[in-house]
Amino acid sequence: MLMELLYQSASSRPDDVALVYRDERVTHAELLDRAERLAAGLAAEGIGPGDAVALLLPNDPTFVAGYYAISGLGGVVVPVNPAFKQDELEFYFRECDVRAVISDDRGAGVCERIVAGWDEPAQVIATSAAHGQALTVDMLMQAEPAKLDKRSAEEPVVYMFSSGSTGRPKRVARTHGQVRGESEYYAWMGIAPEDKIFCTIPLFHTYGMGCCMLAATRTAATLVMLEDPNPFLLRRQRALELLEAEGVTIYPGVPFNFRLMAEAPASADLSSVRLAFSAGTALPRPFFDAFLDKFGVPVRQLYGCTEAGTLTANLDEDPVATFASVGQPVEGVEVLIEDEDGRIVPPLTVGEIAVKSPGLTSGYSDMEELNRQAFRDGFFLSGDLGQLDEEGRLTITGRKKLLIEVGGYKVDPIEVEDVVVAHPKVAEAVVVGVETKVQGEELIKAVVVPNDELDERDLIGFCQQRLANFKVPQVVEFREEIPKSPLGKILRKYLI
Amino acid sequence: MNVSADIEQFILSELTQGRGITEIDASENLLSKGIVDSHVVMELVGFLEQRYGIAVGDGDLSPENFESVASIEAFVGRKRNGQT
Repeated sequence: MLMELLYQSASSRPDDVALVYRDERVTHAELLDRAERLAAGLAAEGIGPGDAVALLLPNDPTFVAGYYAISGLGGVVVPVNPAFKQDELEFYFRECDVRAVISDDRGAGVCERIVAGWDEPAQVIATSAAHGQALTVDMLMQAEPAKLDKRSAEEPVVYMFSSGSTGRPKRVARTHGQVRGESEYYAWMGIAPEDKIFCTIPLFHTYGMGCCMLAATRTAATLVMLEDPNPFLLRRQRALELLEAEGVTIYPGVPFNFRLMAEAPASADLSSVRLAFSAGTALPRPFFDAFLDKFGVPVRQLYGCTEAGTLTANLDEDPVATFASVGQPVEGVEVLIEDEDGRIVPPLTVGEIAVKSPGLTSGYSDMEELNRQAFRDGFFLSGDLGQLDEEGRLTITGRKKLLIEVGGYKVDPIEVEDVVVAHPKVAEAVVVGVETKVQGEELIKAVVVPNDELDERDLIGFCQQRLANFKVPQVVEFREEIPKSPLGKILRKYLI
Repeated sequence: MNVSADIEQFILSELTQGRGITEIDASENLLSKGIVDSHVVMELVGFLEQRYGIAVGDGDLSPENFESVASIEAFVGRKRNGQT
């Protein structure tokens, strides 16, 4: 079902450019050919309906072809952050019971170490044979392309993970019908074949998957992919050059991107950009103003979540006046604000945001109790706080879940605490987010009660071995005890 | 310890833990391999400023100056010689 998007774009615009990546321009027809070849190659290796296949890849054409190839076979795509360390990767692979991993060179060795000890074999398919990998993407793509069967709307097509509440990330399964449902929003938003969508946000994340990849395929637009977007601090000049040279019209980014571009020493002509979106975390007003002043482009806020994809977008005629709002729900999405007792509150009243969407997952895998709390009458209780105005525009005001905002990522402090307390010299630890001088960005601080002499660098190094860099505490504060209420609840406000 | 070895040592001890990396070739691309990412680049900049007494400005923040140990060494050399 999802693959039909690619069949449609390849049929309606076969010779138009689907992907721009470095010097490569891949047409819609060529992208379909790559996906069909890769699907045939995967099928020859025994991958079939229901099999989970991880993509441990940067943003590049192989990611896109791989995503559609797996979905077309009836497999389940597991997009994974290439920055994850071995322990994190193993958790994701085991949670999804992956049967194969498609990885670039830097991850293939780690993946092979992970699956080597498994009872059920899983294959590692590398993007090149640079490190002696036996099976490569190029080998699989030697297969003859074959048209892929239609999939049913109910079949799962992607497993992603959502942070918060539980320490370990929660697995979110979305079906062909749900992801296809989300793809329709982008056509409704007016994205058209003439559009060029800039891709700097990761495709393994819901935001990139939806607003970049699905949006481009659904509308037969062009996806302009910034190669190696990290560290963005070093790549912002290249980003500006590419935006101008390619005449990009749509730019989904995160506040961090817009701030760094506004602060860049050089400028660029971004007059072609008709929609710039910011999501992931609230866009601070100074970033909005700086980007508007420098480039003449107002950045509009957009809201979504791993459980449902895009939900609202600020498409107002005057986005300057409503900059703080993430906009109205996209077509087919309902947004309600509820009080603590689950009652709908009137406009301009803050409460928890509940959403209903064609893109919404049916629930977290193997978490019945949590599903009873978070999914009710077709609505998902997001854990975010916000209010609707009289015209139905949503403004996010905070969140109920404990999460730390780091460079566009949401880090669950409980997950980090679990690693910190695993250190043999840590008796107790609490992890909190501390505001930095840059509005909207936080530092991760570990407050630690040691049971022996412990060095800060030793503890940070311990975390670096087990967590992706963006989750590692930058600051360690040693205390004799953690402040708690008489009932034993940790008083986090005294730790910030 | 020369500058190149010094930089390699810093990267190995501070930035690459948990990846099974024990040595870095001077020409190895630190950016495409994800060794220097958004979350550690300022740590590296701070190290260079402190260790070599240089000031790294906005205009210096380009991939060409940070993509390998060799390019970082060359960048530090230019800064110490007063070149930009």
